[in-house]
Amino acid sequence: MSKSKRLGMIVDQERCIGCEACSVACRIENNSTDFWIKVETQGTSVKDTPVGRFPDLTLNFLPRLCNHCENPPCVDSCPEDALQKRNDGIVILDQDLCTGCKACLDACPYNIIVFDENNHLAEKCNLCAHRVDKGLEPFCVLCCEGQALHFGDLNDPESNITKILSKDDVFQLKPDEGTNPSIYYIRPKPKRRL
Amino acid sequence: MTENEQIKLIRTACPAHCGIDCCGILAHVKGNRIVKLEPADFPDEKDRRICLRGLVSLDITYHPDRIKYPMKRIGERGEGKFERISWEEAYEIIVVKFKEISEKYGWKSIGWVLGGPGAGTTKFGAYLRLASLTQSTRVSAWGYGDAGLPCGSRVIFGHQFPYLYLFGEFWQRKYPELLMIWGTNPAESMPLQNMRKVLDAKEYGTQVIVIDPRFTVTASKADEFIGLKPGTDSALALGIMNVIFQNNLHDKEFILEHTNGAYLVRTDSGKMLRGKDVDAKKPEAYMVWHESSNFHKTLSRTSVKEASLTGTYMINGIECKPVIQVLMDLTSEYTPEKTAEITGVNKDLIVKLGKRIATAETVRFLTHMGFTRTYHGDISLRGLISVAAITGNVTTSVNSGHVPGILNWNPFLKAIPDKPSFHRIGILNLYEAVISSNPYPIKALWFAFINFLNQCANANKIIEEFYPKLEFIVQTELFLTPSARYADLILPVCSFLEFSDFLAQPYPYVQLQQKVIEPLYESKSDANIVAELAEHLGFGEYFKGGEEGLIDLIMASRSFEGINRETLKTQARKLPTLPEGASFPLSFGTPSGKIELYAEQLYEDGEALPVYLPPIEAPITPGEKKYPLTLVNGHSRFRTHSMFANVKSLLDLNPEPIVDINPIDAETRNISNNDIVTVFNDRARTTLKARISESVQPGILDITEGWWIEQFKEGSLNHLTHDIINPVQDKVYEPNMHMNDVAVEVEKK
Repeated sequence: MSKSKRLGMIVDQERCIGCEACSVACRIENNSTDFWIKVETQGTSVKDTPVGRFPDLTLNFLPRLCNHCENPPCVDSCPEDALQKRNDGIVILDQDLCTGCKACLDACPYNIIVFDENNHLAEKCNLCAHRVDKGLEPFCVLCCEGQALHFGDLNDPESNITKILSKDDVFQLKPDEGTNPSIYYIRPKPKRRL
Repeated sequence: MTENEQIKLIRTACPAHCGIDCCGILAHVKGNRIVKLEPADFPDEKDRRICLRGLVSLDITYHPDRIKYPMKRIGERGEGKFERISWEEAYEIIVVKFKEISEKYGWKSIGWVLGGPGAGTTKFGAYLRLASLTQSTRVSAWGYGDAGLPCGSRVIFGHQFPYLYLFGEFWQRKYPELLMIWGTNPAESMPLQNMRKVLDAKEYGTQVIVIDPRFTVTASKADEFIGLKPGTDSALALGIMNVIFQNNLHDKEFILEHTNGAYLVRTDSGKMLRGKDVDAKKPEAYMVWHESSNFHKTLSRTSVKEASLTGTYMINGIECKPVIQVLMDLTSEYTPEKTAEITGVNKDLIVKLGKRIATAETVRFLTHMGFTRTYHGDISLRGLISVAAITGNVTTSVNSGHVPGILNWNPFLKAIPDKPSFHRIGILNLYEAVISSNPYPIKALWFAFINFLNQCANANKIIEEFYPKLEFIVQTELFLTPSARYADLILPVCSFLEFSDFLAQPYPYVQLQQKVIEPLYESKSDANIVAELAEHLGFGEYFKGGEEGLIDLIMASRSFEGINRETLKTQARKLPTLPEGASFPLSFGTPSGKIELYAEQLYEDGEALPVYLPPIEAPITPGEKKYPLTLVNGHSRFRTHSMFANVKSLLDLNPEPIVDINPIDAETRNISNNDIVTVFNDRARTTLKARISESVQPGILDITEGWWIEQFKEGSLNHLTHDIINPVQDKVYEPNMHMNDVAVEVEKK
C-alpha cells in the first residue's frame, strides 16, 4: 500500500503581495463570519506598514491559516470529536458536532481557530475539503493574486509542492510545538542590491 | 428553487477601471441569481486570475443601496432628496431641458462627462456617438489625474501611450536583465497584468529597481528601492543621464538611428537648424554635423550615421549644437551631489544606478501615472523616457508575438463621416467653462461612470462655484455617490454582470463582457440608455440594436481574424499574431518621426528638454513654510478609484480613511497611531484617523484616493487638492490635476 496522503500548502512570501484576496476568497467560499486566513505584516502590529527606517525598509506578509498539523492538539482537545484528522491529512472541523466549548481555541498553538459569536460554534479552514474531494485546489490557491500559494500532497515525491520543498529554504510556524504543520513558508529571497 | 436546480456557468470579464487587468470571470448562476464568481480560464493558464475586488463584485450587484429606478431631485442639490419617476418621464425631462438649453446657448453648452470606462468600449462609444450626432461637448476625463502621462508621451514619442515602447515585451513575458519600476505601484493598482509578471520576472532572474516617494508593496519586492522626494523624478533622470554621459556609456548607435539626438539646434532661437537657414535644397529638412567631412549636411539615412552628437558649430554665422550636446549641457549641472540634494537619494546610489542602467543588456521601464500627478509630471515621464532612449532601451519594433490591438473608434467619433463631430474639452478646463463661460459656456452636464465631486480637485470650488452655475445635471449611477447627490436626475445603471460589452483587454486578448443576468430593478446599461435617449432626440437610426448593435459596430471596425461573438462566449481570444520572423515597426508620431529628446515647440516654455522644475505646491525645499508637508494619494488594493468604497466585505478589512504619517513628523506634532487628526490647508480641513508608518518619508502624508466624502469625519481628500492648470499641458494635450503636488499641515484633533 502506498503511503497515505499529506495534503498541505506552501506559502511563498517572495510572491505574497499582502492583498488579502486569500482571506476574502476563503470567506466567500466557506460563507464564514470571520476570516479564516489572516494576513499578518511581519515584525509589526500595525498592518501594512514596513519595518526599519526610510528608505531602508522591509515589508513582508505572513498569511496564516490552519496548519493542518500532523499532530493536531485541537483534535485531542475536542470532547465531541468534532475535529478529525482525515487520512489525506486535512484537519476538519465538523460544525454539526461542535458544541462551542472553545477547548480547541485554547489548544491551538497558532491561535487560528475562530469563534462564530452568532452561532456559538468554532470555525476554521478545512483546506476546502469540499473542493479537494472533487479534485480541485482550495479556493484561496486559485484566487491568489501573486500565485504565492501552492497546494499538493507533501508525501508524493512527484508533486509540485514536494519539488518546491526540496529546492527552497522553507520553514514551518512554531516548530518547537511538535505539531509538524502541513503549511510551509518560503522566505523572501535576499535582495540583489545595486 | 429546488436543490437540484442546475448551476449555469457563464464566462464574462470584469471591466473595472483597472482595464489593464481585465480579469476573465466565470459566473455561477442558479435560476436568475449569480451565486459565485471565480477566475475564468484563459488560453494561457498563467493569465487565469481575479483580484479581491473582482471577488466581491456580487456585493456591488446585490448591494442593498443600489439605485433601483430613475429619480428626480426634490430637495436642494446635495441634500440627497429624490423621488421616483418612470424612464419615460426621465427621457421627457431630458429632452425638454436639452431643447431649452440648446436653443438658448447651442448644443455646445451641453457636455458629457465620461469618466473611466475601464476596459469597456461600447458604453464609452455610445456617448461619443451621440455627442458627435448632436455636436455637443465631450468632456474628457484624462485630466483627472491621467493626462500627465499622455502629455509627456505625446511630446517625446508622439503617441498617447508609452507602454509598448517601454515595456511591451514585458507584457509578452520576455523579461529583461533589469526592470525599472518608476512612479507606479502595480502591487495595488495593477496586481495581475503587471505585478504578477514582476514576480515572474524576479523568478526568471531579473533585477528589480523601484523608484517611488513611498515605500509601497511593489517597493518591498524590489532588489533596490530608490525613495525620492515627490515631484523630483526629472531631477533624478537628469542625474542618471549625467552619470551615463560622464562615463561615456550612452548608446550612440541607437541615439543616431531612433532619436533626434544628432539634430542641430540653433543656440540663438532654440529651434532646430533647418535647410532654409543654410540655403540647402530642402528648406524644412533637419541638419546634422557630419564628422568625416567636418561640414553640415542635410539629415538623411546616410548622413545621420556619421553625425556628431557633441560639439558647437558655426554654420552661416549661426551657432549650433547637436541635441545631445544641449542635453549634456543641462545634465552636467546635475552632478550626483546636486541630484542627491534635490531628490533626497544617496549620491553613490545615483552613480550605481546610472551605470547599471547603461550597462545592463536589456532594461525595461514599467511605468504608469502615479508620478505624473505632480505639476510637471509630464516632464517626469519625458525624463524617464530620455534615460531609456539614450541607453537604447526603447522598443522600436515588435519582432514577434501580437500585433498591438488598437480599436478603430471612428464609427463613434464621427457618426456621420462628412459632418463635424463633437467639441472636446478637458475636465480641468471644464471648471472655467462652467464657472466663467471660458472658452464657451457649459450649462448642462451628463455624468457617466464618474464620481466627479469625489474624485476631482478642489471639492469646495465644485460645490460653491461650479454646481450653482449649471442649469441641468444628469448622472447615471449604481449608488447615491457624493456626486449623484448633486444631480437633478439620477438614472440607474447596471453592474457589469447585467450587460454586455466588448473588451479589448488585457493585452494580448480580446474578451466579451457577457451579460450574466438581466438588469436588476429598473436599471439599464449606459449604452442602452444612450440608445433610448437618441431615439427620443431623433437619432434612433444610429443606435439600432442598442448595446448589442454597438458591439457589432465596434467589432466590425477592424479585422479580428476569426474572433467573433460566438467564439468569445466561452473563451478570451488572442489578438492576431505576427508571422514568424515578421517585424511590426512602432512608429513615432513626433514632428521628426523620431524619439524627440529635444522638443523645439516647447522652447519658449522653457521645456524643450526634460528639465527639472520644482513642484508647484509640494514644499520639498527646506525653509519655513505655512504648509510644510506634501500630501500624496496612493491607490488602494481595496478600491478601484471610488468603486468598492461602500462594500462591506472590504470595509471589514479596511474600515475607514487613514492618513499615513512618518514617525518623525508624528512625534513633533504629538500624534500617535489611531489618533484622529486634521490635515489642512487654505482650501479645507480634512479629519480622519492617523497611522504612523515608515512607508512615507518625513515631510510626506499619504491618504489613499477613492474614499467617499461621507466616510471622512470632515472634508475629504479632494477638498485639499487644487485645480491649478499647467499651461504647457493645456497646449500639448490636456491639463492634468496634480493630486500628488499638494501642500498641507496636520494637527491632532
